[in-house]
Amino acid sequence: MKAIDKEVLKDAAKRLLFDMSEAEYDTLLSEFDIIVKQMNIIGTIEGVESYEPMTFPFECATSYLREDAPTRPLAREEALKNAKSKASGQIKLPKVVG
Amino acid sequence: MEFLDLTIRELHNELVKKTVTPLELVREALLRAKSDANNAFELIMEKEALNLASKLKEPEANNLFWGIPFAIKDNFSTKDVATTASSNILNGYVPVFDAAVVKRLLDAKAIPIAKTTLDELAMGGSGTTGHLGTTYNPYDRKREHLIGGSSCGSAASVAASIVPFALGSDTGDSIRKPASYAGLVGFKPTWGRISRFGLFPFATSLDHVGYFTRSIFDAASLLNILAGRDDEDSTSSEVPVEDYTRLLTTDIRGARIAVIKEVVESIYDKDIGAAFQKTLASLRARGAHIEYVSIDRKLLESLFPTYIVISCAEATSNNANLDGIKFGPHYEAPTYEGTIMQARTKGFSELIKRRFVIGSFCLMKENQEVLFLRAQKIRRMVVEKITAILSDFDVIFVPASPTPAPRIGEMSDRLSDEYLIADNHMIIGNFAGLPSITLPIGFKKNLPFGGNITGSPFAEARVLQIAKVVEDISGFYNLSTRTAKV
Repeated sequence: MKAIDKEVLKDAAKRLLFDMSEAEYDTLLSEFDIIVKQMNIIGTIEGVESYEPMTFPFECATSYLREDAPTRPLAREEALKNAKSKASGQIKLPKVVG
Repeated sequence: MEFLDLTIRELHNELVKKTVTPLELVREALLRAKSDANNAFELIMEKEALNLASKLKEPEANNLFWGIPFAIKDNFSTKDVATTASSNILNGYVPVFDAAVVKRLLDAKAIPIAKTTLDELAMGGSGTTGHLGTTYNPYDRKREHLIGGSSCGSAASVAASIVPFALGSDTGDSIRKPASYAGLVGFKPTWGRISRFGLFPFATSLDHVGYFTRSIFDAASLLNILAGRDDEDSTSSEVPVEDYTRLLTTDIRGARIAVIKEVVESIYDKDIGAAFQKTLASLRARGAHIEYVSIDRKLLESLFPTYIVISCAEATSNNANLDGIKFGPHYEAPTYEGTIMQARTKGFSELIKRRFVIGSFCLMKENQEVLFLRAQKIRRMVVEKITAILSDFDVIFVPASPTPAPRIGEMSDRLSDEYLIADNHMIIGNFAGLPSITLPIGFKKNLPFGGNITGSPFAEARVLQIAKVVEDISGFYNLSTRTAKV
């Protein structure tokens, strides 16, 4: 397991696109003391390597293609209803290039 | 007894007899909701509820839900009604469609009267982390005890008889634990049994839709209308739906019930232990075969850490759409990353950020093998063990929680067996997607506590049958703060 320090936690938060205060990072760092001990339990289970990772409780049953026809279109007004920054019937964002 | 103190079935009978109208019921429910002292509600849907109720004139004798008021956990989409999942990042968000379960209930002419509080984004088990603060246990008027979470407001509203049922969601034990602390029936059917379309996802492989009621019959009735395939949810099942109320029986002769020895041994509360043993003895007297089974203690201790790894990792991607651009509070910044960064920094509470960081840490390249993939392997190991037990038994029956509702701020030792095993064993039901129900089995002073029954996938009928007998044994039918004799 990767060693944990404040920089690692800051890197994780940055990847998640939010920031935390120094005090919050300190709390999280101390919380990781217990989390690491709990996660170490995971490492002590014997024979686990022979198991396949489980991603869902059951195999998902859906295996069909529906007709290529719109069934529940979202009206433009509805799509824009909750966006606060919009212009000309579209969601407006700061310029990415130029 | 006032009308709202009745169960769904009893209320239905009164509605059909026209001793009460939906409008009168809804008015009473709104009055009770407005005087709620437990912080159960995000939003009271007064105008919408009165409007729906005033349209219902002629009772439908064959429709149990006609005119019945209910509450909805605020992580289900409700068309034109603000939905925040108790998170500031969703303040002001108004969905443009109804969740599948909400639609089914509206189609049955049930009447939603409120959206209920939850732990922020359903990612908590205490009922203390929503953006409106702590939700209190109605059994303690001093407001010193938790009701548990994450479905805290739904549990509080049913326990206080504001509504006879409420929708919830369960990713670790978010219906079944508060049900134990609130003296309620809390049911999470099989993964895929009820559509999740419109439920805000937390950890997709573990999330279940479920609900709180005050009787097993009502729980069976709700399943009758909520279960079934929904093409909007590709994980919903094609397995045929049964008539769960018709299949209820009091004859459980020959039923095979397993008790997990290590779970019982990790419970130190004598009152809970005694009530559980008394229930077992009564089940035996009614012809059930009870047998203790064993699961490796280390495997049980790994349930919670495994859950944390999987759920936090899934949560990081499921909540990536909360960016302050398409919905939620918006912040101007020179770049779009800056806009997102501000929305997420200001919108998420510290606790949620910490959970996301744990998830991100588990998904880091160096940790994927030792944490994430290993957790998924342990999940399969647990599921295979439980499946083997259930191949020989109808259900597993254990106490739902090691204590009655804890005091607010009370922390147990996070590395003890009481915490890792007795407080978290119901995660098994999410790992394996099993139908699992909590119902009251006793009281300690003024606080209720529950037992938990879990069965094989899609064996809801069997789980409900055995739960019905436990309800008969305990006598805790239609338990609420208004009807409890404590």
